Amino acid sequence: MIELARDDPRYPPSLRGLATAPERIWIDGDPTALDATAVSIVGTRRMTGYGERVARELAMACAAGGVVVVSGFAQGIDSAAHRGALDGGGRTVAVLGESIATFVATLSGRRRALLPRVRASGALLSEFAAPFTPKPWTFAQRNATIAALGNVTVVVEAGDRSGALITAEDARRIGRRVLAVPGPLGSVASVGTNALIAQGLATALVSADQLLRAVGSCASRRQTGADPDPVLLALRDGPLGFDEIAVRSRVTRDVLRSRLATLLVRGSVVPLGDGRFRRTA
Amino acid sequence: MAVDAPARTTVARIASCALWGLEAALVTVEVDVANGLPHFSVVGLPDTAISEARERVRAAIRNSGFEFPLRRVVANLAPAERKKEGSGFDLAIALGVLRATGQLAADVPSLCLGELALDGGVRAVRGVMPRVRGALGRGVTAVVCAEENAPEAAAAGAHAVGVRTLREAVAHLSGQAVRPPAAIPPPAAMPRASVDLADISGHETPKRALEIAAAGGHSLLMVGPPGTGKTLLARALPGILPPLDPDEAVVASAIHSVAGLVDPARPLLEARPFRAPHHTASHLALVGGGSPPRPGEVSLAHAGALFLDELPEFSRHVLDTLREPLEEGSITLSRAAAAATYPARVTLIAAMNPCPCGHAGDPAAPCTCLPDAIERYHARLSGPLMDRIDLRTHVPRLAYDDLRREGRESSHVVRERVVAARERMRRRMSGACRRTNAEMTVAEIRAHSRLDEDGEKLMSEAMRSRRLSARGVHRALRVARTIADLAERERVSAEDLAFALLLRGAA
Repeated sequence: MIELARDDPRYPPSLRGLATAPERIWIDGDPTALDATAVSIVGTRRMTGYGERVARELAMACAAGGVVVVSGFAQGIDSAAHRGALDGGGRTVAVLGESIATFVATLSGRRRALLPRVRASGALLSEFAAPFTPKPWTFAQRNATIAALGNVTVVVEAGDRSGALITAEDARRIGRRVLAVPGPLGSVASVGTNALIAQGLATALVSADQLLRAVGSCASRRQTGADPDPVLLALRDGPLGFDEIAVRSRVTRDVLRSRLATLLVRGSVVPLGDGRFRRTA
Repeated sequence: MAVDAPARTTVARIASCALWGLEAALVTVEVDVANGLPHFSVVGLPDTAISEARERVRAAIRNSGFEFPLRRVVANLAPAERKKEGSGFDLAIALGVLRATGQLAADVPSLCLGELALDGGVRAVRGVMPRVRGALGRGVTAVVCAEENAPEAAAAGAHAVGVRTLREAVAHLSGQAVRPPAAIPPPAAMPRASVDLADISGHETPKRALEIAAAGGHSLLMVGPPGTGKTLLARALPGILPPLDPDEAVVASAIHSVAGLVDPARPLLEARPFRAPHHTASHLALVGGGSPPRPGEVSLAHAGALFLDELPEFSRHVLDTLREPLEEGSITLSRAAAAATYPARVTLIAAMNPCPCGHAGDPAAPCTCLPDAIERYHARLSGPLMDRIDLRTHVPRLAYDDLRREGRESSHVVRERVVAARERMRRRMSGACRRTNAEMTVAEIRAHSRLDEDGEKLMSEAMRSRRLSARGVHRALRVARTIADLAERERVSAEDLAFALLLRGAA
């Protein structure tokens, strides 16, 4: 763990210029990840299957383009973005709303497995000294740090009063571009992002290429062509049960049984244990 | 009839029967009436109910117009080392007193079971069927019991005479007014299903899973948002289960008899039991217990189905206790006095919501649960229990169009396929014990679940990919065998195996 004061030469330049830059930061991992070109990907904890896929695809595209993904290590979109960056072989930085020690000690669930991976490839960053526990206002404060670390900020999904909207507001105030992913009308998880676009506070983000262009990366881009397999295509927006896959893919049940079993055996699809199946990539 | 003090007292012997679990033990009630201060004691490890029998017996004898001897009366329940419980010995003790004092002129060759009322009436007791069954194997042929219990005793195969009062019992045994034996109650009839599969629209795969569970005895978990028909599907299961075989009916009825749950007029169960305990059930209610141990829901569902709705709401500890009965097909309840074993071969059907709010993956109502909360919800289910689930199926909310589109098959048609599949299983696995594909041993899987060429290819790919554990492979092969049985195929095809792998839905 490294502790950096504001006058330390290793202190991230993207933070230093800010009026609200934290006096001290603590870094667990690789501090050079903080100097690279970065995109902040944030969103609601209550994400939908659509949000998870988009966050993941954007993060993977960033990874392929050598762009660091910055997020807040919360459940939902944040974790999906970190996971996408790591699965794409890229680097990712997690900015915490509490001290690193207390976060590591209390983290549970699926995110626990993510922790060593984030540390190994990128870094955990906190502006709070151990043993500082989270308060409601600390998350708002770290949102400003997330916004500052990214060259642009992407809001994937955000509800009416999501904290991700605070991050977008912070980014706008310090002059960073805000991109928002449009979502289906009527989807609770996209009310906030659609409103950002409608009010002209954010640009609609419609492809991973657009994001990479926005940060000036011209590195190799991942081809996001159409899925040739109707079964995998049906599973793009989240897990489904057998009958639902049959309806969406328009594959007859007899054919679907063999097809899905083959995908299962090959690992392209995993069972969730509740009768539904999820795509692995 | 006056009681003159005879020079020589006689010891009366009356046969009765004690029960521990389903295991019956003949008990001889010996009554000795001797000179001495008036006293009445019951010895031979009686419980409180039996000790209280003294008061009931004394009052019943007096109020039936007989005389209770003003002498020293000892009733001994032999063998004395065995703990006995319940009020079923009242009739035998009273008849013993009457026989020892000469008020009953003839010896009693019958097994006597019944509780006495203070006015001399004979009341029904629990567990008559297993007691009579046990006694029949030990040379007893006739039974005297409460009129309500007589059909039960007759169903077990005894010459059963029902009596309403102690006086009637004495009159019958002494030959003054011999009563006719009770008729054997009507045999099992076709079950009346409360829900027909034809009434349920859509849900083709859940219905197929239900059919496979019914045919092969595989355990099934249905997951879906509230109100999509999980409970309705489960309620349709009794309508597609094969009929109860006579020997299964006797065992299942005996368990109900011990629990005091039989209909006195029709003691033999007609249909396979379907038990649906509420999720607040304790482990005693679910697997049985107490002293003496009473059967729980898992035993009451023997030869039928146990339905656990809202599975994660059951306490984890309670679900853990289900592991032994699901593994062994029986449950042994060990208590200080003795251990009782009840059969518990059930088809487990479980249902649950996909998340605490119930709407994960539901297009109609967005889920409001945080991802970690959903994870905790699933973690509440015990791993070993989930390992034993063979079939998992998603029961989604259906759009109106889907509700209309699918063809509907009635329970009657499905049941015929299930019966035919069970018949194939029986022919294949000859043996004394009736078994289903779910209970195949590994050796039997090797012998009977032969795969065709494409099936072998799929299986070797599954094994190579290491996405299936050895246990997962065996479970999938058992299910695949049932799917092939339902399709009347000798060999298990690649499609059967593929479907089994998908329904297993776990490594």
